Amino acid sequence: MALEDKMRARSPWIMHFDTGSCNGCDLEVWALLTPRYDVERFGAINRANPKQADILLITGPVTKRCEDRLRNLYEQTPEPKLVIACGNCASTGAPFHNCYNVDGGVDKVIPVDLYVPGCACRPEALIDALVLGLSKWREKAAGTDKEDKG
Amino acid sequence: MDLLAYVAQVLIIILAPLAVGLALGVDRKITARMQNRRGPPVVQPFYDIGKLLAKRPLLLNSFQVVFAGAALLFQAAALALFVAGGDLLVAFFVSGTGAVCLVMGAFSARSPYSYVGGQRELVAILAYEPVLFLAILAIGLEGSFLVSDIGGGLLYSLPLVLLTLVPVLVILLEKSPFDVPTAHQEIMSGPYVEYSGPYLAIAEVARWFQLAFVFGLVTLFFWSSDPVVSIAGKLALAFVVLFVTIVIDNITARLTRGRMVRFMLTAGVGLVAINLLLLFVVRQGVF
Repeated sequence: MALEDKMRARSPWIMHFDTGSCNGCDLEVWALLTPRYDVERFGAINRANPKQADILLITGPVTKRCEDRLRNLYEQTPEPKLVIACGNCASTGAPFHNCYNVDGGVDKVIPVDLYVPGCACRPEALIDALVLGLSKWREKAAGTDKEDKG
Repeated sequence: MDLLAYVAQVLIIILAPLAVGLALGVDRKITARMQNRRGPPVVQPFYDIGKLLAKRPLLLNSFQVVFAGAALLFQAAALALFVAGGDLLVAFFVSGTGAVCLVMGAFSARSPYSYVGGQRELVAILAYEPVLFLAILAIGLEGSFLVSDIGGGLLYSLPLVLLTLVPVLVILLEKSPFDVPTAHQEIMSGPYVEYSGPYLAIAEVARWFQLAFVFGLVTLFFWSSDPVVSIAGKLALAFVVLFVTIVIDNITARLTRGRMVRFMLTAGVGLVAINLLLLFVVRQGVF
């Protein structure tokens, strides 16, 4: 069990999805992969594939068009998984919370584990969320392991 | 054969894919350093495999896991044949069957990405298998098809054949300019796209076995009567070839699948032919 936990904490594969963002937060998510922030040093790689992802990085307020797709991607990701809402819009909907075509924050559609504030969210804050998320992920993994065995 | 040799062979069959895993970790580290990044730890591929095995299984159909398992068995059998000093040609065909199993696994899922990935993997097989086959034929002409009878001197007589193994490894390691099957930015991870969790781990370990076989071919080119020098030389040669593929990966962009096939079937086949012609000419004493 301890070995599994260690392996998990060293290999969080990420998937990024834009639910209607202005691309500000997206640029910061991509900046994570650049030499300056190099998130691969934590073992994270961008798989762009829900079936192989562990951590979903969602940016932008959820538009009504994107709602089904977001739910679909979430359901295709195997347990244990973690959802991080990146930026103000993904966290709450921010200025778009009462728009006619917007549901609001990501947590209106799928369960969110961590919220990263900022407009746009800083890459440092995203790395912080990712590292913080690993301990949260361990708790969730313990839950799914228990379910699978019992 | 005595017991010690058997134990050594079993150990090599187990350790060779693990060495490939470590080499892939070194590859990621060197690539990161070349891009001015820190990069993941060297044992990262093992963390990835461990993590994948701990994920909850998610399967589309039973064919997927059957073909992934078959790919693993065939590649392991190919490596076992190679290590046991068996016939290179048989090992090559067994390994080729394993590669086709992966394509069948990709075709078993009703997903466009998986399908495109499978087609492209077939094109990649079309590109590297003839070259690998001719390289093995050249080794057979010069030494023997039986790994146990090959002995030394291949590096001096077949240098161009070793050179053709570099683009073959570029394709097998999924590196630019020939990372056509798994082209990350276009079709995600190609034939692997519908695999997840433990099944992806099986497919990945199958790939390690395949790479172990092809790196094994590379190590045949160095041989010395002193076992320590021999093993050190073989490892050094494999590392040099890996390093060259990493450099190629970092200085090139992806080519189209057509150009990959054209390059391999002209330059790859051509180099092996030129090597054999030169050897023939020199041996006949024309010059």
